[in-house]
Amino acid sequence: MAQQQSTPDPAAAFRELVSQWEKGINEFASRTMNSDEFSQAMNKATTASTTMQQQLGELIGRYLMTLNLPSRSEMMNIAERLQAIETSIHRVGAQLERLAGATAGGGPGGGPPRTKRPPSTGQSGGTS
Amino acid sequence: MTAAAATATKPSAADVGMGERIQAAIERALQRNIKGLEYFASPAPVMGTTPKDLIHSRGTLNLYHYRPLSDEIYRVPLLFVMATTNKGYIFDLAPGQSLVEYLLKQGYDVYVIDWNAPRADEKHLSLETYVLDFIPECVSRVQEESGEEDVTIVGYCMGGVLSVMYAAAHADGPIRNLACFTTPIDWEHMTMFRRWSDRRYFEVDRLVDTLGNIPAELIFTSFEMLRPATRIAGQVQLWENMWNDDFVKSYRMFDRWSTDPLPLAGEYFRQTIKELMWENKLLKGALTLNGTRIDMANIKVPVFHAVAQHDHIVPYDASKPLIASVGAEDKKEIVLKGGHVSVVAGPNAVKRLWPALDQWLGERSV
Repeated sequence: MAQQQSTPDPAAAFRELVSQWEKGINEFASRTMNSDEFSQAMNKATTASTTMQQQLGELIGRYLMTLNLPSRSEMMNIAERLQAIETSIHRVGAQLERLAGATAGGGPGGGPPRTKRPPSTGQSGGTS
Repeated sequence: MTAAAATATKPSAADVGMGERIQAAIERALQRNIKGLEYFASPAPVMGTTPKDLIHSRGTLNLYHYRPLSDEIYRVPLLFVMATTNKGYIFDLAPGQSLVEYLLKQGYDVYVIDWNAPRADEKHLSLETYVLDFIPECVSRVQEESGEEDVTIVGYCMGGVLSVMYAAAHADGPIRNLACFTTPIDWEHMTMFRRWSDRRYFEVDRLVDTLGNIPAELIFTSFEMLRPATRIAGQVQLWENMWNDDFVKSYRMFDRWSTDPLPLAGEYFRQTIKELMWENKLLKGALTLNGTRIDMANIKVPVFHAVAQHDHIVPYDASKPLIASVGAEDKKEIVLKGGHVSVVAGPNAVKRLWPALDQWLGERSV
């Protein structure tokens, strides 16, 4: 037993190595990122990136317009309208189902009886 | 062969042990290659399969009702409020690993508010919309569907924040109990997020005004930056455990969920940064939504809060004040081993949170 324990396990050593590496990198990153300098640099980069993204989007939008093609935002608007129509259809369908359920004797409060008690009270139920 | 020669050639126990390990390592390496190919060839795992009905939908809002799995159910229905940053299938990963399925089998009537990505025209959605419009609307639908006046609300992370705000703004009911998981209350202690959104450098107005909604990629990156080495270490761990089907299945489910965040509505994000992150108004009792002051002392219904010992997203110090701040007499906090996600889903949650939640809810759901 003692001999088995002392036998080196390369897989366990590898796991330990990965775990230590992960811990070390995460701690180092946390220290680095938890500083004013990092926060300032990150936010500058975010602002620059969003500004560039916006300008690029506008440029591509103008280009697509000259080609008489819809832009991504226009396609998204169409998709949103379709989604809104789907939602309305679903709402109407759900209302019809509820009406049908009410006519058939279902409706609010249908389903299994709401009489279950917690197992400790020992009065009823007790699936747990 | 003499006895001495036989003894000399007989392998020692250490040699046998090493031999077995090498053999196991070779077998696993072979399995890794075979299953590794399967991994790349197989489709992503299907999640959220517990039978349910979409009973209400409006833009980003979806309200699901799960079909009962018990012949007798508790009187008070449960309404889960999912975090706005992620999809709700974390509550319903797979059969046997689904909190929803577990609760259904224990006899609860379960409803879940899940979110779609907000559309471009939903960039104006605000904290007021979520707290004073979406949640009340869903509560009404649950009341209508169940025929019960009382509803228990269960919120996870930002879903917990919204639930707390709702409970504080609706002190007269119909909320019966409030259960929260890893809910940030003291935003001073959201250390890294607070640092990154430092008001001296973070131009939240410019970001929201430029982008409309905050893209999911930005949300994903900010979560990843909290532990930048963890994804790579996880992939190494996956490779090492490629022979283990259960590990691979579990890894794929969690990986899919964590890489599938949602964008945030612009106005909601702006308010979260300004009112909560910068001003810490929820903790101070200074938050006002549509003229209603959100005072946690107004929450008098029973409150349960499960927090994670190793939560790197919502540190314990950020979630701790909930129990102290609510006005309820019947209140309970449990600190569980695990992280922000493993506290609600996965093997740890099955053993720890789920039975604790069932026990707490059962007594208060009749």
